[in-house]
Amino acid sequence: MKKEDTVKLISAEGFEFVIDKEAAMVSQTIYNMLTSPGSFAETQHGEVTFPEISTTILEKICKYFYWHLQFASGKETEFPIEPELTLELMMAANYLHT
Amino acid sequence: MAMYIRVKRIKTTYFIRCDPTETILDIKEKLHVLIEQPVINQRLILVGTGEVLEDSKTLADQKVENDAVVALTLRKDDNEFEEVNIVRPNDFYQSRDGDGGNW
Repeated sequence: MKKEDTVKLISAEGFEFVIDKEAAMVSQTIYNMLTSPGSFAETQHGEVTFPEISTTILEKICKYFYWHLQFASGKETEFPIEPELTLELMMAANYLHT
Repeated sequence: MAMYIRVKRIKTTYFIRCDPTETILDIKEKLHVLIEQPVINQRLILVGTGEVLEDSKTLADQKVENDAVVALTLRKDDNEFEEVNIVRPNDFYQSRDGDGGNW
């Protein structure tokens, strides 16, 4: 594990989530940010700020990324979503193409 | 990937990929890469039980499961470890469960 293989996602309230790039790239939006030539300035430093995503939602999204990797490697569990999170989570997922 | 744990300190969360057979020392070495703090300056505490995790034991030994929350504390200048310090987001969703049980 190397630091360059991780990316830091920052929520609206300034909370930081350090996750594997492989996990983050489950999101098509983040994938594009990390791989497009010329690149977004923030991704060159390995940090992406999401001023419109709250901490609770961003952590849930990070959990989803890891669940996605686990599921892809054959583990069959459900991904739990609390009903009160559903709307905001859907909006964030839409933005992130996740 | 077998599992992951969430290591938290102040406002930062590190998602660490791991295997139940890995030791706490293995986890600290992974953290060392991310936070530039040597292994001896790290202490990990399982948030659910408040138990200090021992380097030589495995995650499975100490019942650290997938998606577990582990607090990271660092050694201070006076050689003691700091108290657990995890800031919780103070938004709409969290404010509804005051008992702190729901991560």
